[in-house]
Amino acid sequence: MNALTFTQKITLQHQLNCAALTPNNLANKSITEIASILLGYGKSQLRVDEVFEITGNDAQNIYFKNSSNKLDYLGANMATGCMHIEGNAGAYLGYNLKQGEIHCHGNTEAFAACNMVAGLLKVDGNTGDFLGGASSGLRKGMRGGTVIVKGNAGDRVGDQMRRGLILVEGNVGAYCGSRMIAGTIGVLGDVGGYAGFNMKHGTLLFSKLPKLHATIKDCGTHTLPFLHLLFKSFVPFKTKFSDIKTQRVQRFVGDVACNGNGEILFLSPSQ
Amino acid sequence: MLTLLKNGKIYDPARGKDGVIQDIYIRDGRIVNKPSDTEKISRTYDLAGKVVMAGAIDMHSHIGGGKINIARMMLPEFQETRKYSEPEAHICTPNCSHDATPNTTDTGFRYIEMGYTAAFEPAIMPINARQAHLEMADTPMIDKGGYAMLGSDDYFLRMLAAKKDQKSINDYVAWILHATQAIGIKVVNPGGISAFKFNQRKLDLDENHSYYHISPREILKSLSTAVHELGIAKPLHVHCNNLGAAGNFETTLNTMGASDGLPMHLTHIQFHSYGTEGDKKFSSAAAQISEALNKNKHITADVGQILFGQTVTASGDSMMQHLNAKHANPKKSVIMDIECDAGCGVVPFKYRDQNYVNALQWAIGLEIFLSAEDPWRIFLTTDHPNGAPFTSYPHLIRLLMDKSFRNEAFAKLNLDAQAMSNLTSIDREYSLYEIAIMTRAGAANLVGLHDRGHLGVGGGADITVYTDQLDREAMFSKPDYVFKDGELVVKDGKVVKVTWGATHTAKPAFDISVEKDLKDYFDKYHTIQLDNFKISDDEISNDGRGSVIVHENKQPSH
Repeated sequence: MNALTFTQKITLQHQLNCAALTPNNLANKSITEIASILLGYGKSQLRVDEVFEITGNDAQNIYFKNSSNKLDYLGANMATGCMHIEGNAGAYLGYNLKQGEIHCHGNTEAFAACNMVAGLLKVDGNTGDFLGGASSGLRKGMRGGTVIVKGNAGDRVGDQMRRGLILVEGNVGAYCGSRMIAGTIGVLGDVGGYAGFNMKHGTLLFSKLPKLHATIKDCGTHTLPFLHLLFKSFVPFKTKFSDIKTQRVQRFVGDVACNGNGEILFLSPSQ
Repeated sequence: MLTLLKNGKIYDPARGKDGVIQDIYIRDGRIVNKPSDTEKISRTYDLAGKVVMAGAIDMHSHIGGGKINIARMMLPEFQETRKYSEPEAHICTPNCSHDATPNTTDTGFRYIEMGYTAAFEPAIMPINARQAHLEMADTPMIDKGGYAMLGSDDYFLRMLAAKKDQKSINDYVAWILHATQAIGIKVVNPGGISAFKFNQRKLDLDENHSYYHISPREILKSLSTAVHELGIAKPLHVHCNNLGAAGNFETTLNTMGASDGLPMHLTHIQFHSYGTEGDKKFSSAAAQISEALNKNKHITADVGQILFGQTVTASGDSMMQHLNAKHANPKKSVIMDIECDAGCGVVPFKYRDQNYVNALQWAIGLEIFLSAEDPWRIFLTTDHPNGAPFTSYPHLIRLLMDKSFRNEAFAKLNLDAQAMSNLTSIDREYSLYEIAIMTRAGAANLVGLHDRGHLGVGGGADITVYTDQLDREAMFSKPDYVFKDGELVVKDGKVVKVTWGATHTAKPAFDISVEKDLKDYFDKYHTIQLDNFKISDDEISNDGRGSVIVHENKQPSH
């Protein structure tokens, strides 16, 4: 069994909807059947074999090669298997991901891990705005699972996030953890303005202290032994978060503007 | 081209015809006299045994304006239940269509498929009128029109506070009708939306606005007088204070007296007929309301019936919607102030038959329908989409026409609610003639559409043909034929031709010097220039689909 591989062979002008190309949808389908699937392309449709070279037969292991940021909804509603994207991905990577693993080696556009339920999403490059956010109009974002970003993330990381873990090794934009309901977001790089804006509950873990807005309240410096357990749970993901040894943090609570009890933990630089 | 509708059973209350077998001739979109025998008839429809009525008119249905777009966008949950193949469907846009708030195309199609040929948007905020008309221009098949909202309009409140004479107020009201291309004037929670901006969270009929020091009663008096003196047909369209609050029926009863006997239309009166009796401090005041309605001949009302299921309530009443937001289901809402003149509150609701309050609301609406004696003064609405989407009208008609069906539905309700309602003791069943009054002749008369809602010679040939069935829901959901302006547009409940309706307006004369003060006000306070605020006829007709019909000043004949 060889991994089912889609190699992008043409340059796309419009966004291509790749939601059909997931392990659940392609299980037990022949290459001919897969080749004839129609994918939404702007206002029109394209056959899979018009865009991709298709090889392999193991639908539980899907590879995208030479992929570009025009490929939207990669791994949408995926409930099993693995997906490797050797290149960039478009918007809504891992939309409503229910189980399984997605690994993107390049960059992605906005709304990665939107409405994600469980599973693991890894991005080696940068990602856009609303990482782990909600479809517009919904009041709950990511509801579980883990997102690891090695590069930077855009604005509104974890907007309305309900549960789960997001770890970003690079920088994040403004409004990180905005309207967050619960869950954990860790950031090792720089953090933009208004972190924890309208945050209700949840934890933001920062190693660099951003400028916080007025309704985030400083609660002093504490030694929190639970951090040892938290960091231990990060180990399987093999991130730089595993290098953190300290249990000493400066703790902020907010957003007071909406009676929020979310916490922002700033890892003390001294240790 | 001459079309003949032969042998139909005509229900035309405007001409007093109750099931008369008669032929109708149509030429150039109008109903005409029997032509001479030499004239060639191009098309004949044999309607033997069929029920023929004028096209129905929905005199209160939120089909245009910003708040419906918000309602369309705020429920991606609806999209999920649809199981669309495209995953983009989870992103709601103004073009999204769910059952409660169909998009413009679906609105036109669903209306005409039920035999409705006109609908009126009851809450056009003057500054948003252009948006409302653009949306209605994009609604195919049906005629449309709207009522301009003035009850919390800042300029009007300033005039009232400055004790300007009635003539200046009349001129301003007429100017608004022209500028917004409306056919009537609406008041939503008189003064309340403005008071909300001054941090008042409740405003009763005789309570003063904390800044302008005027009461809702004065607002109603002034505007109902203006509407009456200008001579437009549509009486002041009033959404009373205290919408949805337990015990609000007293406010509603008092409101009936606020116009000193001048005509007023109380809209979605079901939401304003709640008492405070019983253990749960929420009871039906339908008896008091319908008694007052029967007694006060100057008052007309539409019901705003609720029906069970998911919908989105969208109202200009930001004050009461702010209060209702805690009952939102799913839990979300949009409450906002819009400029100095109005606001809006959009709150999703799921009406459940096992919920005491919802079940009683359902019963209250029906009690009012069945206790109102004069079908010319009560109108069939669900306040779409607030009580239920307009697509549930056939179901509502069956509830009104079929006592055993109604009682069966009642028996499934929350038991505490059943104990608090006397619905089963009412034996009345509406007749086809009465339904035709409520949905056709009466509505046309109320709004002032002289050539619609009847099948008399000279009338616009908006005609609906049904098969007489015992199941009235089936009958009214699927007409055999619908003619719009003489053209066959629906056959067997399906659209066969897409047409575009006209926009109905009223344009009473006024003194143009009203613009002098208005210009100063616009320059000082408004977000756009006075000249850009006014909507010209060309803006509606320029796309080649729409047109403006101006209805002459004339008091309703009935």
